[in-house]
Amino acid sequence: MLVEQVRADLIAFARRPETLFFTVFLPVIFLVLFEAIFGDIEVSAGSDYALTQSTLQVPAFMAMGIVSACFVSLAITMVNRRETGLFKRVRGTPAPAWLLIAGQGVTSLLIGTTMVVVMLLVGRIAYGVEVSVDRVPWLVVSVLIGAAVFSCLGMALASITPSSEAGPPLANLLVLPLYFVSGVFVPVASLPDWLSSAASVFPIAPFVKIITWPYDPAAPDVPWTSVLLLLAWGVLGLIVAARFFRWLPRRG
Amino acid sequence: MAEAIVVEGLVKRYGDRDVVDGLDLVVQEGEVLAFLGRNGAGKTTTTEILEGYRTRDAGRVEVLGQDPAEAGSDWRARLGIVLQESQPLGALTVRETLRLYAAYFPHPRPVDEVIGLVGLADQAGQRAGRLSGGQKRRLDVGIALIGRPELVFLDEPTTGFDPDARRQFWDVIHGLRELGTTVFLTTHYMDEAQVLADRVAVLRDGRVAALGTPAELQAMRGGVEIRFELPPGVTAADLPGLSAAPDLAGGAVRVETSAPTRDLAVLCSWAEGRGIELANLTVERPTLEDVFLAIAGDHGEAQA
Repeated sequence: MLVEQVRADLIAFARRPETLFFTVFLPVIFLVLFEAIFGDIEVSAGSDYALTQSTLQVPAFMAMGIVSACFVSLAITMVNRRETGLFKRVRGTPAPAWLLIAGQGVTSLLIGTTMVVVMLLVGRIAYGVEVSVDRVPWLVVSVLIGAAVFSCLGMALASITPSSEAGPPLANLLVLPLYFVSGVFVPVASLPDWLSSAASVFPIAPFVKIITWPYDPAAPDVPWTSVLLLLAWGVLGLIVAARFFRWLPRRG
Repeated sequence: MAEAIVVEGLVKRYGDRDVVDGLDLVVQEGEVLAFLGRNGAGKTTTTEILEGYRTRDAGRVEVLGQDPAEAGSDWRARLGIVLQESQPLGALTVRETLRLYAAYFPHPRPVDEVIGLVGLADQAGQRAGRLSGGQKRRLDVGIALIGRPELVFLDEPTTGFDPDARRQFWDVIHGLRELGTTVFLTTHYMDEAQVLADRVAVLRDGRVAALGTPAELQAMRGGVEIRFELPPGVTAADLPGLSAAPDLAGGAVRVETSAPTRDLAVLCSWAEGRGIELANLTVERPTLEDVFLAIAGDHGEAQA
């Protein structure tokens, strides 16, 4: 049942050129552009080593890919399906609610993971950015935690978004400023302190931090505080999503 | 025969308005029931209570032996629902859509069998978003049939159809009947009720105002109408005595009679005797639509 659901969700996703572009291609295009523009800038990411922006941008845009697939795209899709009556229709069948949620969650995870792999390869081949082998498991864990947490947040956003029209602007309004202040578009080190500490409370900054860690050979211990903060956001998302989930459209 | 749907004293309030106000209705297994009423009479509210989408404020409801407000997925597996508005995933093809819904049910019909049932064999590989309105609706019915339902709810399934599409759709419903499926059909179209329904329930102010076979409802209105034009040089006083007083409007004569054979014989021999040809002579039973208009009342405001 779940396999059929994921299969259908993936087909539906892949056949819509606009979602495909915004969700999948845009973060990859951004990675290439940012590498070309800022790649040579040296930054010190909390280490004594000189690290170029080129290296940090690979995991940073991986983070954007996950957020794009699991949060933005997921929330928009879920709102659309609820508001067009698709959920209502499924409610009239024996299918349980978890199927719709799990189906979209797994679909987003697959899309996000694909993007991470693409960026890993682009980073490796085009820019020689490597991740040390012993830290690959942590990269995998980061991706899984990020996908799970942002899916929960995406579900939460979907459940409180009032209409189909409100979906895309609301989701983008939330993530775009955070991309700037959380180390995706701009290195955290070059932000004013007040801004980076304000941003560090929100979920994208800790995610960027933990996914960047495997790429920074000199980085100190695993950023556990960031992991906990991110998980806390996930739990909050889950609570909101469960509390406000609905089958029926909000209108009418 | 067992009962598919039993409703007793159903009440649903929105604010201080009783949208459904003491509705009683029984639908037998294997029956096609047409549920008629003006907008705002409580059709969709009642239907959605039966389908388990809405709660009720009072009354007893049993659908396939269970209370829809408490029934679970086992019960839903026995239903097929076609909602008033449909929006299948436009990017999936007809076959992919049916395959997905088949996965939701414990004992689905084969996808190709359903495609045949709803007459979409030529469109099986086409994306749902590119189907015509009538084809989309047939896909909706296909989705409703995939789980081998015992009872199918159709909420205004043919609104916006052209006449051809409507006829093709009717064939699908006839096919359902032959499968022994109970059909609860909400519609605005009297001809549709006439063609498809075993019985018709007319809703007014949240209650069933009339219930019966289409023929029974037509008989409720009583008479048959004889109409003709008053021949030149003839006044109303010259007409022969009929079982009911004729109604004159301009040059048109209208007689509502419960003895049409006798009145026609009198009228025709009278005209024949005077060598008059009665212009525009017609004899008509009241249509179901006339009956509906009389029963459903004319104060219904357009409300969704």
